[in-house]
Amino acid sequence: MSYLVRRLWQFVPTLAGVILLVFFLFNWVGGDPAYMLAGKIASPEAIENIRRQIGVDQPYWVQLWIFVKQVATADFGASWSTNERVSQIFATRLGPSLTVLIPLLLASTLLSLAVAMLVAYYRGSLTDRAAMIGCTVGQSISILVYILVFQYVLGYQLAWFPVQGWGSTLGENLTRYAVLPIVVGVVVSLAPDIRLYRTFFLDEIGQDYVRTARAKGLGEGRVLWLHVLRNAAIPVATNVLIQLPGLLAGAFLIERFFSIPGIGREVILAVERSDFPVIKAVTVYVAIATMVMNLTADLLYRALDPRVQLK
Amino acid sequence: MSLWLLAWQRFLRDRVGIASAIVVVVFIAIAAASAAGWVARDWGKEVGVSYAPPRFVKPNPAEQKAGLAGPSDVSRNDYGIRDPLAPELAEIRAGLAGASPTEKRATSLAFGADKWGRDVLQKAVKGTETSLVVGLASAALAAFLGTLFGAFAGYRGGWVDDFFNWLYSVFTAIPYLLLVLAIAAVLGQKGVSTVILILGLTGWTGIFRLVRAEYLKHKVREYVLAADSIGASDARRMFAHILPNVSHVVLVQLSLHVVLFIKSEVILSFLGFGVGIDTVSWGSMLAEAPSELILGMWWQITAATIAMALAVTAFSLFTDSVRDALDPRLE
Amino acid sequence: MRALGLLLALAISGAQAADPAKILRVTFQAAETGFDPAKVSDYYSGTVIEAIFDPLLTYDYLARPATLVPNTAVALPRITDGGRTYTLQVRRGIYFAEDAAFKGARRELTALDYAYSLRRFLDPKNRSPYAFLFEGIAGIETPDRQTIVIRLKRTDFNFAHVLAFPLAGAVAREAIEHYGDESAAHPVGSGPFRLKRYVRSSKIVLEANPGFREVTREGERLPKIGGVEVSIMEETQSRWLAFQRGESDMEYQLSEVASAFITEDGKLRPEFAARGIQLDRSVDPEIIYLYFNMQDKTVGGLAKEKIALRRAIAMSYSVDDQIRIIRKGQAVRAQYPIPPGVAGHDPDYRSAIPHDPRAANALLDRFGYRRGADGFRRMPGGEPLVIRYSSMPTERDRQFDELMKRALDSIGVRLEIHKDRFPELLKLENQCRLMVKHSAWIADYPDGDNFMQLLYGPNSGQSNNACYKSAEYDKRYERSRLLPQGPARDRLYHEMARLMETDTVWLLTDSRYRNVLLQPRVQGFHKHPVMHQEWLYIDLELPR
Repeated sequence: MSYLVRRLWQFVPTLAGVILLVFFLFNWVGGDPAYMLAGKIASPEAIENIRRQIGVDQPYWVQLWIFVKQVATADFGASWSTNERVSQIFATRLGPSLTVLIPLLLASTLLSLAVAMLVAYYRGSLTDRAAMIGCTVGQSISILVYILVFQYVLGYQLAWFPVQGWGSTLGENLTRYAVLPIVVGVVVSLAPDIRLYRTFFLDEIGQDYVRTARAKGLGEGRVLWLHVLRNAAIPVATNVLIQLPGLLAGAFLIERFFSIPGIGREVILAVERSDFPVIKAVTVYVAIATMVMNLTADLLYRALDPRVQLK
Repeated sequence: MSLWLLAWQRFLRDRVGIASAIVVVVFIAIAAASAAGWVARDWGKEVGVSYAPPRFVKPNPAEQKAGLAGPSDVSRNDYGIRDPLAPELAEIRAGLAGASPTEKRATSLAFGADKWGRDVLQKAVKGTETSLVVGLASAALAAFLGTLFGAFAGYRGGWVDDFFNWLYSVFTAIPYLLLVLAIAAVLGQKGVSTVILILGLTGWTGIFRLVRAEYLKHKVREYVLAADSIGASDARRMFAHILPNVSHVVLVQLSLHVVLFIKSEVILSFLGFGVGIDTVSWGSMLAEAPSELILGMWWQITAATIAMALAVTAFSLFTDSVRDALDPRLE
Repeated sequence: MRALGLLLALAISGAQAADPAKILRVTFQAAETGFDPAKVSDYYSGTVIEAIFDPLLTYDYLARPATLVPNTAVALPRITDGGRTYTLQVRRGIYFAEDAAFKGARRELTALDYAYSLRRFLDPKNRSPYAFLFEGIAGIETPDRQTIVIRLKRTDFNFAHVLAFPLAGAVAREAIEHYGDESAAHPVGSGPFRLKRYVRSSKIVLEANPGFREVTREGERLPKIGGVEVSIMEETQSRWLAFQRGESDMEYQLSEVASAFITEDGKLRPEFAARGIQLDRSVDPEIIYLYFNMQDKTVGGLAKEKIALRRAIAMSYSVDDQIRIIRKGQAVRAQYPIPPGVAGHDPDYRSAIPHDPRAANALLDRFGYRRGADGFRRMPGGEPLVIRYSSMPTERDRQFDELMKRALDSIGVRLEIHKDRFPELLKLENQCRLMVKHSAWIADYPDGDNFMQLLYGPNSGQSNNACYKSAEYDKRYERSRLLPQGPARDRLYHEMARLMETDTVWLLTDSRYRNVLLQPRVQGFHKHPVMHQEWLYIDLELPR
């Protein structure tokens, strides 16, 4: 319990660090959107007017204090370029991002677990080696190439899926528009996941309890299924959890090419327009999500494996 | 010391490891030759027509002679406005009267040409040099920072550890994309060195975590406590005693990060934060891919992908073999 | 009984020709920002605003060059006071679309609405990026509900164009006040379409406004289509593949892949023509130019050796290569500051600046820009010479960087590429702190004045991004503003263009073709040089 409290307490300095870093970096180099908002021909008065309206004419410490208050109340105001409320932006963009990410994570985890188990079963054999080399080669090709080729071949030449776009209902999205992005995402994450999970399995297989199980006469398959998988479940689950916040913002390439109105794409738009409220909000939310996920992962480890000593 | 000897012996028995090591050495040799100017020195010259196809697609290359642009059709009407440079320009024009030079461009090249007519094969070779330099240098920077921070955090403990852990939390909490954009904006766009700094300054966190864990493990070991008794200073203990025992972990991480950073450079180039126009990397070649592929110009993306796949696969397999050699699984 | 009701409904709705089955699907290559006319500036938002709101005047769909005709006004404005007073009558019987803001009542459009709408641009609270178009207004009066009188501070014969500007459509005070900060997402206009569904930066769905007044062409009521579906797609590959798959009806932002569907002499490739795909090709009323900051220490000023430096750089830059390689042949060389289709354009004018790297080298040699040991030239006094060229960190701008490098390499001048994001470049540009950069200007209205003002001294720091201040130019510009379009004004414009060339403030490069690809089912499309969209006039042929 004291561990939990201590970790939660550590959120504060971390969040403070994130706030300071984001604030100074983007205030210093994030640029002045006033000129862009002012339009093709703007007098100095018009520009000053805009700067006053969006609040960048205040001294730094005032702006920083406003930022801190915004974090505390989770209200980051409105986008400087579209005037849409930032909370609204999040509410509407989170859905599409998750519609792609959650099935993606599920499918790639299940698939890579299955292949990793198979490969762990046949460890040391030619199959194992060949599969691992195959994974390595697959991992050496850039995600950019995968997106381009898949979009061209599956979306256009074979016309199996729409080339891009997003529908209005969850059902429509899951069955039509999200499929190609999910397929690309799965293909890209298969190779590293298989290698990682194979490592987890091999780690478990080397443990004493497995030798005991084998000595008791259990077949290799049952050993893998019952014991190894169960114990490898913790690192696998934590691996998935930890990836999620990073993927939210990091899926921007897929979202951009497939025109999915998600968070990643929104971040790029915000950066291009120097839309500070959106950038601030995304950074803070993702930071908090990352910290929560990390904490959850550590707690899972601690709860389910008393051998792990966390200081 | 015997750890390394044992590892070397184990490595020599790994066929895949040796094969990949050879490929890695070949790539490094290509990069070095390119850096010395022995190959791909004129990668920037426009020797082909725009988007010339590869020779194996179009086997009979012809040469296209194009008149280099001479003075174009200029207006003689001055509408009553005097040109301050009129006298000088008249003299110059008189002096230059004569045939304008022509240039020859090939209609197909070994692996085709890009939009400006530059040889894709030479670009791929020069790109090898740039991408490898970026990968190695940024991995070295990340490893240096990660090891330094990890050593201090793990060994000293206390508030030093707290500080570095806090730094680690902050860096990992901020979305990678935003961190990269912010650092890129601070540094400006100075080319290869900017890319190296961006990757190195954002990539030290993984190494830090591992090295710190290692130092935590080692600082209570006997040989360190023994060093304490002979009065060795902290610095000596951290770097002269513990570091060699931790170096195999660092080495493997360094190798992994080389691969990671070579791939990250592609994304950076796509976002516009890649190398400048005075050089070429696999990332800059791939960044041109979207506009070329749909026109049916597949050779540049193929060349860059093959080169990168070979190098990265070889490096990864080599890393795996090194790791297996240093820390074999008992099976 | 139900069938009868349906038949009745169909019979009644026959009066409204808009067929709900006819939905036009188009794409934008950049996200919109919103639909409140007084708050936006980007082209795409303007396109949707044009379909929803009604300005007083508009342009005839087919007449070329672009010709003003009345829209909600009874007739073209009565211009008095030597071009300083504009009087118009608003037609009766025009209504705003139904909206909750009107609390159930049917709201008629009046002159008061136009007074309100135009005044909004001048309100600093709205911080409108297009305030500059309306800042010439001294006062607006509405002597009665149908009459509006606009008084200007200075003579302006082009103000009628401002009244036809898409953002000058009428908004209703009740709607603006009802929606407050959300006015950009809830546009309420009297135009042919209204907003049906809106997913920010992703999808904009418009439907025909059922209460739209009677507007006919060739005996048929407009609009003929029942709605428009706009998808935002940033990547060219996505848009191109979507069009080929039949997922969009019209596509024109395809210059990168132009060679895939257009031959070198500008015709549609046979494989596309065979599928019934149509091509509508026109030159956009825009100019793209390379400018020198006339206030810069290195390249600015009117001293002879500075002019020589700028002239040499301009002569080393290959506009032909820009058109051939970067534009893929889909542009025409811009010789004159006023592009085709805009009043005042002269198709016979030729630029006085040739592409001649050898002469450029000789010029620099002559003015003392000697080469150093490294092969690069130095200033006449011996200091280092570095040309700083500014651009954005995009793949597209990278191509311009490469062209600039080739140009400067051919004359031995060192190049430094300065990269920054769009908002920052804009700021530095307005502060006259850049050195060399490309810029573009597309017509706000089809008159040459909109282009010649780009070099007018007092506009320095705003639209005059070269920060050019020349007494000779300025006095001619001021005289030209007092003249309507005609030979006298053309004479002044010719002199001003020559001044721009002899001082070498700009190097004009090109104006791009707009190649609009249309699916076979799209009927009646003709790209208008000024209007952003033609949705009111298009028809779709549905399969039987």
